[in-house]
Amino acid sequence: MLKNIGGMTYDCYPLTSAQLLNLSLVKEGTAGEVENIGAGNYLQIDLNIAALREALNRAVERCESMRMRIWKDPDTGEVWQYVVPYQNEYFEYYDFSAWNEEKVTEVLNKWTSQPFDLYGGKLSRIVIVSLPNGFNGFYYNVHHACMDSSSVIAFTRDVIEIYCSLLYDMPYPKPMASYIESVKRDMAYEGSKKQKKDEEYWQAQLSQKEPMYTDYTGPGRLMQLRKDNKNKKQRWGLLASSDGKGNTITYELDVDSTMKIMEFAKEYDLPVSAVILHAIRTVLCKFNNNEKDITISDLVSRRSTLANKKCGGVRMHCFPLRTVMPLNTTVLDSIRMIKKAQDEIFIHADYDPLKVFGGLAEKFGAAEGSTYASVDFTYQPGTLAGIGQTLNGIAFKSRWYSSGKQPKPMYITAMHRPNDGGLNFYFGYQTECATPEEIEFLYYFTGRVLFRSIENPDATLKEIIDMT
Amino acid sequence: MFDKLKELILQYVEVDADSITNDSRFIEDLGFNSYDIMCMLGDAETEFDVEINEEEIMKCKTVGDLLAYFEGQK
Repeated sequence: MLKNIGGMTYDCYPLTSAQLLNLSLVKEGTAGEVENIGAGNYLQIDLNIAALREALNRAVERCESMRMRIWKDPDTGEVWQYVVPYQNEYFEYYDFSAWNEEKVTEVLNKWTSQPFDLYGGKLSRIVIVSLPNGFNGFYYNVHHACMDSSSVIAFTRDVIEIYCSLLYDMPYPKPMASYIESVKRDMAYEGSKKQKKDEEYWQAQLSQKEPMYTDYTGPGRLMQLRKDNKNKKQRWGLLASSDGKGNTITYELDVDSTMKIMEFAKEYDLPVSAVILHAIRTVLCKFNNNEKDITISDLVSRRSTLANKKCGGVRMHCFPLRTVMPLNTTVLDSIRMIKKAQDEIFIHADYDPLKVFGGLAEKFGAAEGSTYASVDFTYQPGTLAGIGQTLNGIAFKSRWYSSGKQPKPMYITAMHRPNDGGLNFYFGYQTECATPEEIEFLYYFTGRVLFRSIENPDATLKEIIDMT
Repeated sequence: MFDKLKELILQYVEVDADSITNDSRFIEDLGFNSYDIMCMLGDAETEFDVEINEEEIMKCKTVGDLLAYFEGQK
């Protein structure tokens, strides 16, 4: 729909379900206006700043969602998105090479915590930076309504490939896909046959009995909520802490241990994500008096087609992955049940997640901002691991920076490191609800369960819990 | 039906259209992962107007297996 914005006419489109999901978290998660992604990507080489500026400009030109804006119609209150034409930009340069890494991280975390004016203009900021130890690259901060982690990775890959092609006579990367076309595909889904089928599936899920909230710190949080609400039978928890403040702790799993997980998954023809989910699920069971009914929020990238892999934007949906398992279930059966539940979610993942969460709250009379999952999980196989080939042995590192806000109780991301392929586990948590020691405890038990399970695939959940 | 399925497959993986045959294995030959396969099946369900049983469909390892499954559902 054509709209006049600031004297210019733009083709405007409604926000997608993935964008609305993100914006709902800003509201329900009391994260203020901060829903940002901060990332840094650095090469250990002398940098040609002019070439990097050129590469960044070309990458922004090729990536429509980097030029996406959000506009609220002052007359109707309706919210729209549109893409502005590319304009050459001057990216500032910051030299932190004489600083220590900790201090640089502190500054970049602070920048990541600065809110964008959602309805007022640009929703991203890129600067060129030099770090200690000869690493140079760019820091990138973007509102989550524009990009998700998959598109940040695709954008980063594009910048690096363009930079290398400018300087080292390497092939120029293939074009990115259109973001607006992906929005149009999402619009076409509304009212389609596929949406009808997905709706039938999710309605069937909603017709089941009420799930149970299992907190990653144990049953104390739910007990307190029951006391506060004077409801001894309450089964739901809350997404938000009162201040929305958060922190992220990163744990690096060594390469050998990562390989054990990958080989186990390959041997039994199981997805790595289901193996890790099994470990998280079993820990939640253990920490909550061996509860059989566990719900984890499963994040789905929705980037399976070639066009969706390279279109930028935010496409991530999340859905409750609920499994009910008796304690005599074996490890392999547990992972297979999780895989089955995950496969069903993948097939029906285009459905609006807010309708699912809203449907659950309405059916069971839960408060606004309620949840049955204390943990959100995402596994990112499509990282920058392959970039090593492009860089021909040049050391490369990527960093994710914290905005200091956490709209959900716990957000675990498993992602392969670009340099050696080992797994990094990012534990984003609400500081009001857990201490760093409790997060360490959670990581420790998740690891114990994971490796005991791999070593004993025919053991029952009860046996694994007793071993750990 | 083969051509329609081929067209769908090409939306998911970057392979030469001529290399897709009935014997092509989704994972080993065409480079699908399990997530991509499930998403493609979600689209195929609507495209071919069939009901998919997730457990049954996972036994389909090749393009020919999947076509036979769809034929059986008609």
